[in-house]
Amino acid sequence: MPQPDCTAELTQALAERILMLDGAMGTTIREYGLDEAAARGKRFANAPKDLLNNGDILSLTKPEVITDIHQRFFIAGSDISETNTFSATSIAQSEFFLEDPRESGGRKDQEFFQKIIENPQLIELAHDLNVASAKLCREAADRCANDTGRARYVAGAIGPMTVSLSNSPDANDPGFRVVNFDQVLEAYKAQVRALIQGGCDLLMIETIFDSLNAKAAAVAVQEVFEEDSQRLPVILSAAVGRGGETMISAQKVEAFWNAFAHLKPLAVGLNCSLGPDLMHGHLEELATCATTHVSCYPNAGLPNPLAPTGFDLEAGDMAKFMGEFADQGLLNIAGGCCGNTPDHIAAIAKALEGKAPRQAPRYQTPTVVES
Amino acid sequence: MSSQLQCTLRLSGTEAYNLTSEKRFLMIGERTNVAGSPRFAKLVRAGDLEAAVEVARQQVENGADVIDICFDDGLIDGKEMMTRFLQLLQGEPDVARVPIMVDSSKWEILEAGLKCLQGKGIVNSISLKGGEQEFKQQARHIMRYGAAVVVMAFDEKGQAATYEEKIRICERAYKVLVDEVGFNPCDIIFDPNILTVATGIEEHNNYALDFIRATEWIKNNLPGARVSGGVSNISFSFRGNNVVREAMHSAFLYHAGKAGMDMGIVNAGMLEVYDQIPEDLLERVEDVLLNRRDDATERLLDFAERFKGQGGKQLEEDLSWREGTVEERLEHALLKGIDKFIEEDTEEALAKYGRPLKVIEGPLMTGMGVVGDLFGEGKMFLPQVVKSARVMKKSVAWLTPHMEAEKAEFLAGDIEKVKADNPGISDDEALRRAERQRSAGRFVIATVKGDVHDIGKNIVGVVLSCNGFEVTDLGVMVPCDKILDTAEQIGADVIGLSGLITPSLDEMLHVAKEMERRGFKQPLLIGGATTSAAHTAIKISEHYSGPVVHVLDASRSVPVTTSLLSEDQRDSFVKDNFEKQQKLRDNFNTGPKRETLRLEEARTAAPRYEWHQSDIASPKFTGVREVPHFDLRELARYIDWTPFFHTWQLRGVWDRENKVLKTRNEQGAQQAAELYRDALKWIDYIIENKRFSAKGTFGFFAANSDGDDIVIWEDEYREVEKARLHTLRQQIRKDSGKPNLALADWVAPQPLQDFIGGFVVGIHGADHLAAEVEKRNDPYGAIMVKALADRFAEAFAELLHHRARVVWGIETEDDLTVDELIHENYRGIRPAPGYPAQPDHTEKPILFDLLNARESTGVHLTESCAMHPGAAVCGLYFSHPDSHYFAISDLQKDQIEDYARRKGITIEECEKWLGPWLGY
Repeated sequence: MPQPDCTAELTQALAERILMLDGAMGTTIREYGLDEAAARGKRFANAPKDLLNNGDILSLTKPEVITDIHQRFFIAGSDISETNTFSATSIAQSEFFLEDPRESGGRKDQEFFQKIIENPQLIELAHDLNVASAKLCREAADRCANDTGRARYVAGAIGPMTVSLSNSPDANDPGFRVVNFDQVLEAYKAQVRALIQGGCDLLMIETIFDSLNAKAAAVAVQEVFEEDSQRLPVILSAAVGRGGETMISAQKVEAFWNAFAHLKPLAVGLNCSLGPDLMHGHLEELATCATTHVSCYPNAGLPNPLAPTGFDLEAGDMAKFMGEFADQGLLNIAGGCCGNTPDHIAAIAKALEGKAPRQAPRYQTPTVVES
Repeated sequence: MSSQLQCTLRLSGTEAYNLTSEKRFLMIGERTNVAGSPRFAKLVRAGDLEAAVEVARQQVENGADVIDICFDDGLIDGKEMMTRFLQLLQGEPDVARVPIMVDSSKWEILEAGLKCLQGKGIVNSISLKGGEQEFKQQARHIMRYGAAVVVMAFDEKGQAATYEEKIRICERAYKVLVDEVGFNPCDIIFDPNILTVATGIEEHNNYALDFIRATEWIKNNLPGARVSGGVSNISFSFRGNNVVREAMHSAFLYHAGKAGMDMGIVNAGMLEVYDQIPEDLLERVEDVLLNRRDDATERLLDFAERFKGQGGKQLEEDLSWREGTVEERLEHALLKGIDKFIEEDTEEALAKYGRPLKVIEGPLMTGMGVVGDLFGEGKMFLPQVVKSARVMKKSVAWLTPHMEAEKAEFLAGDIEKVKADNPGISDDEALRRAERQRSAGRFVIATVKGDVHDIGKNIVGVVLSCNGFEVTDLGVMVPCDKILDTAEQIGADVIGLSGLITPSLDEMLHVAKEMERRGFKQPLLIGGATTSAAHTAIKISEHYSGPVVHVLDASRSVPVTTSLLSEDQRDSFVKDNFEKQQKLRDNFNTGPKRETLRLEEARTAAPRYEWHQSDIASPKFTGVREVPHFDLRELARYIDWTPFFHTWQLRGVWDRENKVLKTRNEQGAQQAAELYRDALKWIDYIIENKRFSAKGTFGFFAANSDGDDIVIWEDEYREVEKARLHTLRQQIRKDSGKPNLALADWVAPQPLQDFIGGFVVGIHGADHLAAEVEKRNDPYGAIMVKALADRFAEAFAELLHHRARVVWGIETEDDLTVDELIHENYRGIRPAPGYPAQPDHTEKPILFDLLNARESTGVHLTESCAMHPGAAVCGLYFSHPDSHYFAISDLQKDQIEDYARRKGITIEECEKWLGPWLGY
């Protein structure tokens, strides 16, 4: 069921404390040691390609695992947990279900993706994934809220997709795009609708590698709000590289904020791609220019295939960094991305306890400009 | 208290642009507007978008803060062109930096433009011309996409020309936008119509002043709103007279700016500096603009005659970089992604370097190396790197015909050679093989099974194909068999695997194992976000005996692949890579504990060979041969110089042919060249004055393995044990059925008749000479002497091993070149006690006794079993075709107990010698 707009409630809570997000879904799923057969379940038993790494379908085939993860994060102290829907769009799912045209000498282009966004099976799958994932998270949130007497929120995760609107995969034609804006928009709209239907409290456009993809997601959100007379708070979160640019479209942090301020998001932030140490300067830049709340959920350091979680930093390390960020007045919403387990979240939550939330700068009321 | 930020127009491309109060004026580039620039219109109509993009770049170079893009032209499909052009600009990092103004009178074109902007741009323009309903709808749409908007002073009745009309319409539009639509007032820009003056029509005389006054009113009455205008309109009556037009533009901007005009569509290259307008001209121009005299127009027209046809200021790009050397120019072009001069520069480079390949491997690769470094440091970004690769491609494309010609020439010779080497071969087959030898390199790349991420991999594909490699991209989720089958079919030279998610690491491991099982030899490249050099070294490379190279990022793929496929560089690159990985493995080995096997289990996991006497090589003699004085002159030829430079902290690879150190660091290369010259002088001195002497000994013995020991027999009857060597077995648990090795595995057990060899070489005289040089206060010379002695000892060991292999019958005199020898491309190994495969130094005395080495070579062992003089090498010879270097680590207590018993020493003593390799 669609939830009422909780913007006021969250704004109130954000004025009082730093809210906790959850940790990583993808890397936490790996703890459960699922195999291909388990991931496929009955519904996808005969799917043509391997599905083990299609984490989103576990909401349908292994719902107890996803519920357990949400529950563990809530118990660890998350106020908000993100739905298991990072790739729950027809476009992203197509990679797991359709034959790659390049295998038969073709190429991925807009014609190919047009068929995907019109493919009834993929549309149904994306819908089911979003609704089911939102419900799993909703149930865990409500149960935990009942048990602890503290409100818990469900954030519908809207991921970056596996295609780019800003980048050409063809060296000889830098103007080429495999998809167009309208196609990405349509796929995102379906996801947004289903997430709302499944009972999300917020929407999170996250791990933004390509700001133009994110813009399509932002337009999708606004169009759904308008068409369905619905409104939920929105959080935007970019994944930037060491230089502070979105990983694919190379947009700097302040440029990113300028491009999305019109959404009046509940929060804008950074996640994934970097650990807290490398993210620090970019977060500072964002905290200086963003006139809304700032969220931050870095990776647990950089990928380290030799570490148990696949990432460098342990719970205590993350807690230390995030505690320092809070002391510097950079945080309103905090959590962890890849490599952050419930232990990490519990440690971060503890470190942030009682720390004052960041005060966002405000724009002055416009006056006539002195000439 | 929260801080306050100015409420102002905030825009962005890939960078933010905030029109804060300290910025005087926002400059809008107008040359990318088909209406404003006939040249641009012509380029677009002709479909020369490359040149059109160049126009955009020039605008930004000339200082435009925002560029106006307009395709309103009857011969252009505006909607399609807007999309295509903006997508092209996104690939131009220098242009994509600035915000874009999407300019059209057609709504559908504006909409198409909005869908291409990742940043916050400006829509130019909407107005009340079509009524309030449509106006609001369009404004909402723009707001949803997050753009600022230019509102023309138009309404249902038409264009506002006078001051009163202008302010009435602007006020109405402002109220609708802010109060009804909820538009951010700071995102509203009014264009109150700059209309042409000096037309001869009296009503037009006040147009400039009307605009200036309306500007002032808007800035004083509509908070947050900005004022813009198309400046060149003002001077249309003076088309063809740039001197007058430029003066008019500057003077108009001066006065409108004072009134509060914030931005203008101005050709940044067509502006005179206000202060530099000649006084008489300025007076007449201002008379017109400010409508100060009735005859102002006539007076300016008269005055203008004298400037007619004069050029005015010309657009200039900064070409100072053209003054550099050809190498500098190529680097600049690669760094900036400028392909305009690339062909002439490439031609010049070819003239200088002689061969196309030298140009590619020289200045072009150096440039790409710089790009790679900057990318690695986060100072360049993917789009820029791709751009650089495109310039590279153009250069390579220009060189290709020259390479083809060269190739054809060589090919003829090659075919003859292939035929000579393979008598009876068909012509077609000879051609095929010869071509194969000459091919630039085929690269198969895939994202491994289970992983769908391919953007990084695509970039690698692009970058490589730009560099002339034949890239076969298999896409994502590619099963191992398909990758390897394809590689076999097309005869791939290199295989690249990519993956972003953690499980992909296991899949890469699987591919490596399969490659090993199927007998692949090609280099395997590993890349993608979760991969690391350490993981590649520790987890992947041990499963594949070919080179396994971790590629940090796309830009590195080219130098790596080039090195791997270059005849000159391959061996040293592979060796370097192996050494780096060995270091990582060593670090890891001293790190956290790994799962180990009990000694019995490890022994069960020893390699199993089906021994046949006929496979075992028998040396031409057994016993010891002394080499009392080896010719230093000959040894000097076999020196491997790369480690010599490493001693001096100069990283790089020595190019034997050209006698240069290949390194990024130009100063490093210069230093290396000096060092090399000095080294040669020292070598001459040393040889002429007989300062060094080289003494060695080597021998062969009947031997058999006995468990993990190697028994050395008195004679071929194999009855009396002369000595016993002890080897250690790996106890790390290995996945995939890889064996747990001990050196003894490569010697056959009884009753087979196998052999083992051993050697000791030493260079004498270095210590004495170094001390002498030191006394002359020449520490440089002293280090040089010792470093050279080390190199001589290594060369001696290598050369002696070669001789030993000849004696052993597994190599002939002329089988290998110096390079191949240095890079150890041969059957058999010469491991030394105290090194990774057998870390126990106490095996050295056994070897020394066997060879009677102390007497014959003068090398003796210290208490801690170190050799003296230091410039000495010893080791055992193994001839088994499988024998290779490996490392012992994490030895367990059960093996130490067993080993101590075998050696007849105490466990404590054993633990003392093997401390660092104990795993308990």
